[in-house]
Amino acid sequence: MSQSPERMNDTETASEPLIEAHDVTRSYGGVAVLQDASVAFSPGLTVVIGPNGSGKSTLLGTLVGRIPPVSGEVRRHGPAVDGRVGYLPQDVPFRDTFTARETVAFYGRLIGAGNEVDDALAGVGLADAGDRRVDALSGGMRRLLGIAVATLGDPPVVVLDEPTSGLDPGMRERAFAAAGERAGEGTAVVVSTHDLELAGTYADHVVALHRGRVAAAGPIERLLADHGADDLTGVYRSIVGATPVREGPSSATDEGADADSPPADEDAEPEPTNGEDDTAVHVPGVSDR
Amino acid sequence: MSGRPAAFTTVFRRELVTVARTPAYALLVVGLLIVVGGLVAVGGGGATGFVPAVVDLLLATEVLVPLAAVVLGYRALRTDRATGELAVIRTFGVGAVTYVGGILAARLLALIVVVGLPYVLVGGYVWATASPDTGIYATHTGVDSPLLYVRFLTFAVLLGAAYLAVAAGLSALAGSRRGAIALGGLVLAGGVLGGDLAVLRSLSTGTPAAALPDLLALTSNGAFRGLVFDHVIGVAFEGDGPTVNAGRALLALFGWSVAGAMIAVVALGYGRAVTVTLERVRRRVVA
Repeated sequence: MSQSPERMNDTETASEPLIEAHDVTRSYGGVAVLQDASVAFSPGLTVVIGPNGSGKSTLLGTLVGRIPPVSGEVRRHGPAVDGRVGYLPQDVPFRDTFTARETVAFYGRLIGAGNEVDDALAGVGLADAGDRRVDALSGGMRRLLGIAVATLGDPPVVVLDEPTSGLDPGMRERAFAAAGERAGEGTAVVVSTHDLELAGTYADHVVALHRGRVAAAGPIERLLADHGADDLTGVYRSIVGATPVREGPSSATDEGADADSPPADEDAEPEPTNGEDDTAVHVPGVSDR
Repeated sequence: MSGRPAAFTTVFRRELVTVARTPAYALLVVGLLIVVGGLVAVGGGGATGFVPAVVDLLLATEVLVPLAAVVLGYRALRTDRATGELAVIRTFGVGAVTYVGGILAARLLALIVVVGLPYVLVGGYVWATASPDTGIYATHTGVDSPLLYVRFLTFAVLLGAAYLAVAAGLSALAGSRRGAIALGGLVLAGGVLGGDLAVLRSLSTGTPAAALPDLLALTSNGAFRGLVFDHVIGVAFEGDGPTVNAGRALLALFGWSVAGAMIAVVALGYGRAVTVTLERVRRRVVA
């Protein structure tokens, strides 16, 4: 049974959605990872939250066209119809032997924005790291580089899949600040995250996924009121009934990566998340089995 | 958007820089130089002229050039897909044809350098040391010439291009690095040995010997070998007739290259659509 798209802004603002998932379902091997998801994204920062295996990365993948849905569709509106959708995958994929500047320049040339390279690097605080090779950047700096690439050419929609995964608190703050700054300029920025504290600080809208379905969506204030919560952690507990995943300390690896995220190899199938224990507390690097 | 040509050039340049920064390919050049130089030195043909040198190199070239091409191509189109960077590149409006074209063009240029450099150095050595004088440019049968060596090298590059494209095309299908290596090995073994064995089997099952020139031309190595026999070695020595149909041989080498590129374009352009279609069918069957 489908549902009408959850409008992020409802009546609080007049912003029209730039992109929306309409009745989107995606399955692998017959196991649904995302089911009948209808949600629309307007300008501002939208965070997508939910436990591992809830379908966050799959939803984001459908928005950028990386993961075609088996049913439903993704619709673009306004400037997003012809504009590209900026994308940072969960595993930052850039070639190791290229410098940060060369990496951004490669993408800049693809859209005729080769002269924006230094501005893009400066925009995420990597102005001094432009000449460092990708394999010499920390995990946090790589993600910031990914944000710089995703936002090149001012796309109307930017999708960031776990941009703070495995980062130290300072880097997480920088990543969210960069995303928030872009959202303040009229871009619809969609960020999946387990970092509910920062999400609560920066988000305008929230989409909560649970077991592959949209459990709640709307402006953050409305969700807090609806669930009688003081913060997003309370909303999360109310929906999922468990303590949210906490991210570990600084690491260059992708600890805490979503179990439902598409593998880097985009045509490969992710492991189905059958029987996931939603009541478990997931701590990156520590098995909960 | 800055257009397809600009995107092609951008992908091409990036791939070329990647190859240039991969030390293994420099080692490949050195290895080829040692083998090719060693064969000419030990074979003794190089001391006589270009055509004798080609005779010394022919058999080894049928293995070395495909090997170099497979090394350059076996993961050319898998790397970005495996790391997830292809998903990012797609968001910049780069289509499968442009992407595959840019990658293959860069790898082909790299192949020309990797294969060409050792062979050109060996050719220079032959020019400098062979006697009698090999500086004569042949215009008729019976005269050795550097132009014949250039022709041999051109055929070798065409052979390599066919292997490169097929290896790269199959790399787009590989699900893992091991799979890519296995597919590369399959391309190498199938091309170097499989073609000739298929022709032999065909002859043993009743195909007339008169069909041999046409059959040989269909296989990559047979086409290369026939072209070298007829248009390099045969120029200096009187033969009994063409080994292969030259037009068909050139068309076959070109065709293998196009087939490899098409496999890649289909895999990268429509692979996800096929996966989703299968998933839809599976859901309907289960439902």
